[in-house]
Amino acid sequence: MFVFRLDTHSGVPPYLQLVQQVRQAVLLGFLQPGDRLPLIREVVEDLAINPNTVAKAYRQMEQENLVTGRPGQGTFVNEQQSAAMSASTYTSLRRGLATWLRRAYAAGLDEQAVDALFTSVHQQTRNEDVA
Amino acid sequence: MTWLIWRQHRTEVCVLGLLVGMFGVALLVLGTQAHDLFPGGPARCAGEAGNEACAASFRRLDEEYGYVENLLAVFYLVPVVIGAFLGAPLLARELEDGTWQLAWTQAVPRMRWLAAKLAALAGVTVALTGMFTAVLTWFRQPFDAWEGRFQYDAFDVEGLVPMAYALFAFGVATAAGAILRRSLPAFGVAFGAFLAARMPVALLARPAYATPLTTMEPVPVGGSKDQAGHHPAPSSADWLIEHGYADATGRRLGSTEYYELEGAADRAGTNLNQFLHARGIQQFGVYHPADRFWTFQLIEAALFVAVAAVLIGVVVWRVRRRMI
Amino acid sequence: MTATEFALRTDGVGKRYRKGWALRDCTLALPAGGVIALVGPNGAGKTTLLRLVVGLLAPSTGTVEVLGHDVTASTPQTLSRVGFLAQDHPLYKRFTVAEMLRFGRACNLRFDQGLAERRLAKLGIPLDRRAGTLSGGQQAQVALALALAKRPDLLVLDEPVASLDPLARHEFLQVLMGAVAEDGVTVLFSSHVVHELERVCDHLVVLNHGRVTLTGDIDTLLAEHRLLVGPRTATDLDRAGTVVEAVHSDRHTTLLVRDGAIPAAPGWQAQPVALEDLVLAYLRRPSGPSAAVTSGVAA
Repeated sequence: MFVFRLDTHSGVPPYLQLVQQVRQAVLLGFLQPGDRLPLIREVVEDLAINPNTVAKAYRQMEQENLVTGRPGQGTFVNEQQSAAMSASTYTSLRRGLATWLRRAYAAGLDEQAVDALFTSVHQQTRNEDVA
Repeated sequence: MTWLIWRQHRTEVCVLGLLVGMFGVALLVLGTQAHDLFPGGPARCAGEAGNEACAASFRRLDEEYGYVENLLAVFYLVPVVIGAFLGAPLLARELEDGTWQLAWTQAVPRMRWLAAKLAALAGVTVALTGMFTAVLTWFRQPFDAWEGRFQYDAFDVEGLVPMAYALFAFGVATAAGAILRRSLPAFGVAFGAFLAARMPVALLARPAYATPLTTMEPVPVGGSKDQAGHHPAPSSADWLIEHGYADATGRRLGSTEYYELEGAADRAGTNLNQFLHARGIQQFGVYHPADRFWTFQLIEAALFVAVAAVLIGVVVWRVRRRMI
Repeated sequence: MTATEFALRTDGVGKRYRKGWALRDCTLALPAGGVIALVGPNGAGKTTLLRLVVGLLAPSTGTVEVLGHDVTASTPQTLSRVGFLAQDHPLYKRFTVAEMLRFGRACNLRFDQGLAERRLAKLGIPLDRRAGTLSGGQQAQVALALALAKRPDLLVLDEPVASLDPLARHEFLQVLMGAVAEDGVTVLFSSHVVHELERVCDHLVVLNHGRVTLTGDIDTLLAEHRLLVGPRTATDLDRAGTVVEAVHSDRHTTLLVRDGAIPAAPGWQAQPVALEDLVLAYLRRPSGPSAAVTSGVAA
């Protein structure tokens, strides 16, 4: 059974953390189509989290067509039409990021500077998307 | 609610019950022996101190059980202990421990909760005090036959007033507990309040519950000075408040006037009684007759119960207004 | 919305003690369902407000309506719909756990003893132990089981986890959130800790110096507020919305704004604000009668 985690220091809203974890797990193949997600109550009692937050996360995942809720049975992972990301895309992106990181360290940036740079660019692109 | 009240207060009830029971048994044992001194029952000797058989019985009673009587004089505080011990924790313990917030957020409305608690604990107070008083009253029968029931060591521990004292202490302790929010200080306040109230009541208020009677008679010619000093109240069971001498017109003599007369009699070398008799001096006594015992008990009980009722009213008002 | 869809409605509620006002002008409308956090520093009036809600105190001004009923007219029916867990979760210390449950049964119209026993058994709390000898966490769990066994529609908790260690706190919240998921009970709890609020509550009421300074649905509040960061400026920016808080450093200015768009001036960036920072900003504000901000449900 899939286990959720919650990072209370990340600043990411809890419901979004849940969605991201499922998305990531599907991406990485930890969750296969047809796998059942834990019941809302199970997540709630496990994480000591507001049930509405879990419900909201599950709703969002359903809207994203990531999962399907079947009344009385549970919530199941869907076949991903876009196949989200092929293994090769994943490997290539990962390799690109690694290359970039090596360049950054070579340019004299330390770990914190890399983090700050990434966060800043990440936020900027995200805001551009929003706007 | 019944179970809850019992569960919460069973320790106090048991401790008090045990104490009252122990006192009761001790008094029953001693009392049976004391009663046995009076073959015809102590009531037959009431006011019969002159009777030879009765006088002998009274003498033995005094010799053998006088110490018990003296000990019992302190026992007028027992009802106060009972009342204060049951009243102090009624609200104070809930307020001390914060459990009032638990008790009053269940489905029993606070007024019903309070009414049940007050009724149950006041009932236990009266019941325990009643048992204690009944045994004590029975034990004192021989002494009462001798001394009457108006003395402080009889009036305060017999009849109705002990229950009223207990309710008074219960009321003060409950109210003090509601205001101070602590059991022990509430107990202390109840005790102090009773001591503070009892003195003025017994010394000042009690004699004024009714208009006292007065006897006035000429000083008898014969007899010694001792007999002259003997007060003229009709019986030893009456409550003599004041006695002294008055002149022929009935005007009461001050002590200096009396000493002047005494001096004059001395100088004249005459017997004091004859001297006083010749001048028409009279003896007077101001007293309450023994049969006013129950009237006085009722008045004093009503007084203390009324104060208790007012205090309980304050508690009810505070709880109803949600001031606690 | 009809009246009964509100778990709690207060109108101009104030409470005055001998020392002065503990709570003033408190007007709230909190929806039923979900978890409502009442946040504020110690002495802000949280306990007073909660005691007013459960009818332990009477308001000096205004009215308190819980689940559609005036709270001062407490009848067994209205009382049994509201559960309360006071601060430090008081229990009768000399009662055994079983006797505490019997107390609950004796004093309530409906009391699900089986539910309470199952919950306590799951937590490994023995029924024959005296309540006073249990650990703080266990006492809190007994008090919670007692309150939940009433099957209330509204459960009010005063600083429920403040005195608990991290593990006990987590276990307590697990049970509490489980009850919300299972029974759909509306939860109103107070806290002086703003950390971790987001994971447990949907709705927020910020109380400071006896006044409500912010109330609303958390998602709405987060959507309405932004952090604007830009070059230091002394003059007021146009189109910055309501500035909740402005922090200036040597070179740049950080503004927490409500309903504000990014200023037209160059160099400005907008960022979402974390709930914790939002609450802290409102707590730092000087309080005044006009400081209250309401979001989400129309008051």
